[in-house]
Amino acid sequence: MSRIAAPKAAPVSKRDPRTGVVQSQDDVCPVCKSARYMNPSLRFLVNPECYHKMCESCVDRIFSHGPAACPIKGCGRTLRKHRFREQTFEDIKVEREVDIRKKVGATFNRREEDFETLLAFNDYLNDVEDITFNLINGIDLEETNKKFEAYTRAHGKEIEENAQMAVQERQSFSAAQKLERQQARERREAARREEEEEKREVEENRRDVLNRLASGADAETVAKEGQRVQLKKRMDRQAATERQRQLQAAEDTQSERNGRFIIKGLRTKQKPEPEAPVDPFGGLRLVDSYFTLQDDYIWEGIQEASKDIKQTAGGYDVRDYAHRSLVAAFSGLGVFVADEMTQRGQLAQNDCAVSESVGFKDAEMISAS
Amino acid sequence: MTQHLNEDDLYRTSSQYRLWSFSPEGLAALRRKTHELAITRASQYATKSNSYDGQGGAAVDCLTSEECLRLVQRYLDQVRTTSDHFKWPIPVKATAVQYLARFYLSNSPLTYPPKEIYKTVLFLACKTEATHMTLSEYARRISTPADEVLAPEYKVMQALRFTLDVRQPYRGLKGVLMELLNLAEGRVGEAEGVETGGAKALQAEMQALEMPPKTAQTMWRVKPAGKIESKDQMDRINAAYSAARTILDGPALLTDAYFLFTPPQILLAALHLADEPLTSFYLRTKLPLDSDLRPKILTTIAACAELLDSFSGSHILSKDERAALEQKLEGCRDPSTRDLVGSHAVAKRGGDGGEEAEEKARKKKAAREKHLKEGPAHSPVAKSSSLASG
Repeated sequence: MSRIAAPKAAPVSKRDPRTGVVQSQDDVCPVCKSARYMNPSLRFLVNPECYHKMCESCVDRIFSHGPAACPIKGCGRTLRKHRFREQTFEDIKVEREVDIRKKVGATFNRREEDFETLLAFNDYLNDVEDITFNLINGIDLEETNKKFEAYTRAHGKEIEENAQMAVQERQSFSAAQKLERQQARERREAARREEEEEKREVEENRRDVLNRLASGADAETVAKEGQRVQLKKRMDRQAATERQRQLQAAEDTQSERNGRFIIKGLRTKQKPEPEAPVDPFGGLRLVDSYFTLQDDYIWEGIQEASKDIKQTAGGYDVRDYAHRSLVAAFSGLGVFVADEMTQRGQLAQNDCAVSESVGFKDAEMISAS
Repeated sequence: MTQHLNEDDLYRTSSQYRLWSFSPEGLAALRRKTHELAITRASQYATKSNSYDGQGGAAVDCLTSEECLRLVQRYLDQVRTTSDHFKWPIPVKATAVQYLARFYLSNSPLTYPPKEIYKTVLFLACKTEATHMTLSEYARRISTPADEVLAPEYKVMQALRFTLDVRQPYRGLKGVLMELLNLAEGRVGEAEGVETGGAKALQAEMQALEMPPKTAQTMWRVKPAGKIESKDQMDRINAAYSAARTILDGPALLTDAYFLFTPPQILLAALHLADEPLTSFYLRTKLPLDSDLRPKILTTIAACAELLDSFSGSHILSKDERAALEQKLEGCRDPSTRDLVGSHAVAKRGGDGGEEAEEKARKKKAAREKHLKEGPAHSPVAKSSSLASG
């Protein structure tokens, strides 16, 4: 009899909002077989010895009384309760590998500065990777472990030193960040305090002036004195801040000089020449060749306008009108139309100019060129 | 880097110099060509119309080129009077007259009778010279429908080659007046390159000028007492100015002066006709005796003065003569330009396939009216009673 297996439905899963772990409804503890359906807050823990997962309640039940054997069939390793932890990676193999790498890295923690050449450093890294690979895949476990222990025994002190250095670096970095934040906060505080001071002083001054006025002193002198006092206070304050800023700048330059880097080989930038003022006429100038413009023309038509405030208020100069009139009087005086047009006609004939028609009913227009 | 232009160079950049200046022979040739083209067209449409009527192909009696010219001149004068009727300043008048003259250099009265064109030209001139009057107001005052005024406008613009600037001598004449008055007062001393004895000497020279000859047009005549005072001097100058102005207003516009000479030459010619000694004196202070342009300028001015002088008011057609010519024109004009308003409307609408467009427009209109009459209930839209199953 054949049994046709029903197609397996896809597991329904959703992500735990707190831990971000994907939880599927069919998660079942291999030990007690309790499912999430009955127990919504089911959590799985894992032991790095054998990487078998079981639910929290099983861990409590089995290992609370001391180390016991792993309950999964076929694995009898002794496990302790405190070594159980939440699985970080979905894939258990990845989890195992990461743990191994962490262990190896904790021992083999040399840096590049310790090696003379890059090649040596790379060889070292290669060896470390070999060991890691062997450990992960369980190849030559005995030999690898022996190498491991030999190294640890030989360079124990250095390992410790390196570890210390790493820790210190991390600490100093976070300390620097903290310092920056604090400085910013202080600056903000100082600014706020200054504002308050100013406001307070203004109030004081005003009160002082009022008091003096009330006690019957002359208004003007009181006002002047008040202003003088206020000004003096402001000047003093400004001088104080200036001095402080200078000190700060001096300090900064000290520290800067120690930690600054000098850029070699900067190109000296040449300042661009200042642009010449724009000439609106583009180099053209009109020259009066037939007349010289006078300052005053006695013709009454122009005299009225030059005295009329309505005309002159807007900046209009009557000489512009005179100039225009005179230019109009002479522009073309030396142009002899008959000769120039016959000349042009001859040139056109020589070039065999074509006369175009511009869409008229009657005439062809001779083109002007 | 700087390029120096003098006033003549400035004039050479103007469109009047580039497009609307001719030698006398050139001008005559252009007019002749225009007229010949018009005549050939006339014979074409004349034969067409004759074949419709079934008559023999007799040559139509067209206007001669002389008659065309005189008819155009009559309407130039008509433009002048109309502009005075509107009380527009003289630049408008001059511009309008020049537009009409330029239009008839490349078109013939046989195609576009001036009666239909001159109102448009005047309206265009008033727009150009910044004395704009609204179209409805203008049409009302000139007692013509507004679209008749507007219809030929684009053709006019084409004929003008879209150059609307007309250089005129009036402002220049004012400038000369200003300078002459200052000369008389003894204020003007130096002139470029001209040897003068200084301002006072010039003033004295002016006062010692001889009287204007009898043929001069100025009204000023020396007092019998004889001695010239500065006030008389001013009177003389002002009289010369007004006489010159009258000449510029009339003969200068109605002749071909604007085509053959430049505005300074025209105004100096008018001054020359008004008061010859004064003008010669003035030119003496302007042009150095040894310059090579001087004789040429003087001859040009003299030629222009002759042209202006040769014109007389009696040359213009009288009313009856004009009527007679227009009647003759009716018989020989181009029939396709009869309906300027219609062709303008068609051009505005989009031109090609005008007849089809008209048909469509008519059909649409008829359909719309029918629809309005019968009401929406009878609309041909089918009621969707059956729903097709998808």
